[in-house]
Amino acid sequence: MDRNQLGKWLKQPAKMANKYSLNAVYFCTGCGIIEIPPVITARWDAERFGVIPVATPRQGNLFMITGYVSLKTLRAIIRTYEQMPDPKYTVGFGSCPINGGMYWDSYNTIKHLDKYIPVDGWIAGCMPRPEAVFIAVTHLWTLIDKDMANGYVRYREQYAQYRKNQETLFGKLDWPPLYATGGKAQKGQQ
Amino acid sequence: MVEAMVETILQAVILPVVALAIGLFFLGLYRVLMARIHWRYGPPLTQPLIDIIRLLYQRGNSHGVLFDLGLVLSLAGAVAIVLFLPFAKWCPVSDSGGLLVILYLLLFMPLGIALSGGEGANPNTSIGISRKLILALGYEVPLLLALIAIMTHYRTISLVEIVRMQRESWWALFSWPLALSGIAYLLILPAILGVRPFDIASAPQEICSGPMVEYGGKYLALAHIQHALSLFTGTSLFVNLFLGGADNAVVFFLKMLVVFIGGVSVNAVFPRFRIEQAVRYLWKWPTVLAFAGLLVVTLVK
Repeated sequence: MDRNQLGKWLKQPAKMANKYSLNAVYFCTGCGIIEIPPVITARWDAERFGVIPVATPRQGNLFMITGYVSLKTLRAIIRTYEQMPDPKYTVGFGSCPINGGMYWDSYNTIKHLDKYIPVDGWIAGCMPRPEAVFIAVTHLWTLIDKDMANGYVRYREQYAQYRKNQETLFGKLDWPPLYATGGKAQKGQQ
Repeated sequence: MVEAMVETILQAVILPVVALAIGLFFLGLYRVLMARIHWRYGPPLTQPLIDIIRLLYQRGNSHGVLFDLGLVLSLAGAVAIVLFLPFAKWCPVSDSGGLLVILYLLLFMPLGIALSGGEGANPNTSIGISRKLILALGYEVPLLLALIAIMTHYRTISLVEIVRMQRESWWALFSWPLALSGIAYLLILPAILGVRPFDIASAPQEICSGPMVEYGGKYLALAHIQHALSLFTGTSLFVNLFLGGADNAVVFFLKMLVVFIGGVSVNAVFPRFRIEQAVRYLWKWPTVLAFAGLLVVTLVK
């Protein structure tokens, strides 16, 4: 851990602070959330990595999609993701957000989450062990260091495409676009 | 004359910074202590500072003019109280107000947050604010009784005078007529600091951290700073009133540390009160004790 290196802090305070203060949004999408209580409590203690759950999306910067994503949940996920302030990081947890997992032929489950919101990293497995969360966090630190965890930038730049994918799925969305989508420029909600 | 004025101005600039440093240290210590009591390793001591730096660089979103101004009002109230509280020998403006000003200024912090949060128009905010006001209604009765007892006993409203008189005799907590008020104040200290079992206002599991629910980015950073300052204020007021202040900063800090660790230990082992349980508790034992203390003080005189 290079948390104590003063030189890096003075050179890039924002990046270092983003790395070591990942506040995860409490959002339980599926069965994967059952692995999170041991992660944040005494057995594995995520707080020593600076990872702590917060109650509202406004305060968080790490969004973990834990488990399968149904259509109904995806609607809430998009709204939650858009309410989080930049910079924000998304991690897909378990095999279901990656490719549908055991719900590969379900009519009501999303197969590829990264069509609808940008995802910075995946944790494969069904279920991933709690240790995998820490491997993911340390890997996310590396990505932030190399400016590769840029999902929120991609979301801003390619918002038109993401919005189109979302609208293909849901028909008309009942919230205004977050960024200008080219055609009719509206004021975003964030 | 000029030197004294320069010194006062220097103190007025340095004191909030010192208070913020101590408040942030307390926040970090709080998280580490809680972790150790839970048999966890816990975050580093600097974690609150890291959080605040991260939040300052994060993008926040405003919900209106009052949303910004209320937060600034709350922060200004916190800084003003710090200036009015004697910190060891430093007391830049404390000879010009005394306890009454502090009592007024104590209202600024929840009021500012209430104004600001109300502009966010989130239902959780309104619930949190109403809970906070109910809690304040609960602890201000014994707090006022205890402060009136102190002011009656020492026949002054000046904090500097109270600290000086305690140094000549005994600390108020261990002197006969004021011990009752001191114990009453100790019993309501967790409610003033807003820690469990009295964290009903910011209950994250019930109402999504209450008044803080719409804060993000820079706004949350300011709210954290205000919280750190309010921790400093709560412990510092107790040390000044009942533990006799101190001659130098280190002893004063150690006294604050003892008071704070006492409050946090309560926090670690108790679950949260329901609202009516909290008010019933606050209006029962602390109020009875504080009232008895006030009666004894008036009768002894």
